[in-house]
Amino acid sequence: MTYLALLLSVLFATLPLHPPAELFASGMAAAEARESARALELLEAAAAQEPDNLRYGAEYRQMAIATERYDRSIRFFKRQAKRYPDSADVRLNWGYAYVDKIPAAGAVTQVILANTALNRFTEALERQETWLGLYTRGNSYIYWPTIFDRAKLGIADLERAVELGEQGEPKGYHAHAYAALGDGWWRLGDLEKARAAWQAGIDRVGADEAPYLAERLALDGEELDAYLDATYAIGNRVGTDLRELWAEGAQP
Amino acid sequence: MSGVRLVAPVVLLGLLGTLGPVGATARPADGGVAASTEAPTSETAGEETAAPWFEDRTEAAGVARSHRNRSFHNPYARIMEGYTALGAAVAVTDYDGDGLEDLFVTDSSETGRNLLYRNDGDFSFTEVGEAAGVSRGNDAANASANALWFDADGDGWDDLFVVRFGQSQLYRNRGDGTFEDVTAAAGLTRYLNSIAAIAFDYDLDGDLDLVLGNYFQPVNLFDPDTPRFFPESFEEAENGGGVTLYRNEGTGPNGVTFTDVTEAAGLAGDTGWSLDLGHADADGDGDDDLFVASDFGTDHFFVNDGDGTFTDATETAVGIDTKKGMNADWGDFDNDGLLDVYVTNITDEYMREGNFLWRNNGGQGSDLTFTDVARETGTYDTGWGWAGKFFDYDNDGWLDLYVVNGWVSGGPDNYVLDIFELIIDPEADLADARNWPPMGDKTLSGYQHNMLFHNEGGTLFRDEAARHGLDSIADARGVAVADLDRDGRMDLFVTNAGEAPNLYRNVLPTGAHWLEIELEGSATDPDAMGRMGAVSTVVRATIDGVPHVSFVNGGNGFASQSTRRVHFGLGSRTVVERLEIRWPSGRRQRFENVPGDRIFRAVEEPPDLQPPTEREPPSAPSPGDDRP
Repeated sequence: MTYLALLLSVLFATLPLHPPAELFASGMAAAEARESARALELLEAAAAQEPDNLRYGAEYRQMAIATERYDRSIRFFKRQAKRYPDSADVRLNWGYAYVDKIPAAGAVTQVILANTALNRFTEALERQETWLGLYTRGNSYIYWPTIFDRAKLGIADLERAVELGEQGEPKGYHAHAYAALGDGWWRLGDLEKARAAWQAGIDRVGADEAPYLAERLALDGEELDAYLDATYAIGNRVGTDLRELWAEGAQP
Repeated sequence: MSGVRLVAPVVLLGLLGTLGPVGATARPADGGVAASTEAPTSETAGEETAAPWFEDRTEAAGVARSHRNRSFHNPYARIMEGYTALGAAVAVTDYDGDGLEDLFVTDSSETGRNLLYRNDGDFSFTEVGEAAGVSRGNDAANASANALWFDADGDGWDDLFVVRFGQSQLYRNRGDGTFEDVTAAAGLTRYLNSIAAIAFDYDLDGDLDLVLGNYFQPVNLFDPDTPRFFPESFEEAENGGGVTLYRNEGTGPNGVTFTDVTEAAGLAGDTGWSLDLGHADADGDGDDDLFVASDFGTDHFFVNDGDGTFTDATETAVGIDTKKGMNADWGDFDNDGLLDVYVTNITDEYMREGNFLWRNNGGQGSDLTFTDVARETGTYDTGWGWAGKFFDYDNDGWLDLYVVNGWVSGGPDNYVLDIFELIIDPEADLADARNWPPMGDKTLSGYQHNMLFHNEGGTLFRDEAARHGLDSIADARGVAVADLDRDGRMDLFVTNAGEAPNLYRNVLPTGAHWLEIELEGSATDPDAMGRMGAVSTVVRATIDGVPHVSFVNGGNGFASQSTRRVHFGLGSRTVVERLEIRWPSGRRQRFENVPGDRIFRAVEEPPDLQPPTEREPPSAPSPGDDRP
């Protein structure tokens, strides 16, 4: 190989010239090999090229969590949002990036991050109404303690998410919207509606697909409160990898 | 599931020897400045005592005048006062050339006088600010926030830059103990809400340039024409004052002048809430790079391209952060020959940011990277941190770290609850000062103990503040490190917002040895004037086979400027095997077998290392007639 050829090969080996799918596969392989820093670079490059690929963005964020590069992730999606102002999926991933940082933050910062995430989710819904967007924002509202009076907002989003979910084939992940909807009614003290929502979820997707619905229905009184308080406890890392969607064939 | 359960859980750090250049051997001499009579004796050498190693001499030394915060008389006064409890600063230099380092201390109240404490040589000081003509730093339209000594006009006498919320001031040192205000003639009248200033020769043209860190945008804080001058975000604010770079254009008939080259130099992209600046040759390429610590958003690291421009290398070198950066001090804490950075942030129950100790991994330009080792070294949590200074207080050859902290220590009510009320509204316009709750007498991260981190071999630090009486809970801001009594033991001057400062005399009893060097550089450009105080000169010392590096910094560290003498702790060694000096001009000098326990003066041209001598005061000049 001549010097020139070697030089060219190095130049053309830079990340942006690879197809995003290839970058994503290499990134996931690097993650599997625990090469977190390299995985982060590769997955970021993939997500940069396909802004509307929720999966690329979601896996990139998982590496940002693994390497504690929360602020890099937030900054990345902020830049993406400037480049692709109409992309709802970029806004969703941007919001999740704030959620990802919450467990690493102090109480004031947690509130700021949670609020900022809500704004991003709202912006996503303004661009495109989706089951995922509605579920995400609705469930976010349910996390806020009752005193903030946001459960009603969450219930409205989650009822609409359920409605959208029932327009197509049942998916196991749809059960999360029923769970969160019931949890919203629990926040408001209406256990009858809460149980109705949880039962509706079982009826829709089956008990085996969503054991957490049956767990809720089996509890009452202080036991139910303890279960749900633990579910929404401060410091819990909320799963935002969205892998359950892809496992059931959702299009990223 | 790790799948779609999304969302947001909430809630809610004399000598005695003259040396020739390169290869020369130390020889005894009979002049110079000997160590103080209170220096450690052989009887105590190698021993450690349980008694504190620092004495609070604030009252006895005559430097106990209290700082006062600024009050405002505008519609936002009740909010502003809580957010401007800053401005307690100190800057060290030997302004009168008597060989003793003096102190300039700021006040911030409208009628407050800034103070110039002349060192009388017996660890006592005389306040001469009014007579010297540098005390008038506060008025209805300006509040002193910081200060910087630098030889702006290259005449060998340090001039004084008073950093202000408003228009800063440049005072020319006449060399006779008095100063004249040359701000307008120097072209420095621009209204900037500056809080940090450093001076170094960024373009290597032989004179000192001026970099300002600006907190607020250039809004008149005393009579604002808009309520929207507060940070737009707690984590990603980009509506601050940013950074201003003034290039020194040299000295003409009307004295030294400066030109704003911020944009041309590539620094205009930083529009953050700057709180501190730190310069150092991080990549060893001969020019100084710049770290900007910013509140309410990411810090910035700029690599000096060597052609008068900087490249923003934040993302590759340190990564984006959203913390409340308040200090940027450079030092080689692990003795690997590379300069590291210490940045303080807020670490409290409501905001768990943690400090940064950025260990320099090496590399040049865009390949230069740092790794944060604050957690593993134990320097992560210092509460609401302000100044953090590297210095070797026990002369053991490892850089220790003194970090001061605490925002406002008020009454029993906690201001955090008010902050919660502000932030729970996702629609709140944080940039609007009217939306911020007044602090009143409430406390926020108050009553926090300052921390003295002893370096345990470059991998771990242990807090020894309580043992040595350095654990004050005052709302401290700046820390100046200097050997005020020339005994080889580094003393501390700590400023406190709204309170009296603390002057701590180091009385280390272990007898550990030391070496200090005053550096006198020559201008790189023969057309440039005289000397520039050797800022950025890098000194490498081999002590017991271990390489150490230090450099002359032009004002690094929050609300403070420390000594520009280079100090090395030698531990039980009495000689530095090799001493290498790299001047900003690129010239290098090497000396061997330099004896310790002395203060030397190193001269760039003609090369020499000698005991310092007191300068002859020049005859009283009239403005401009002593300039070539």
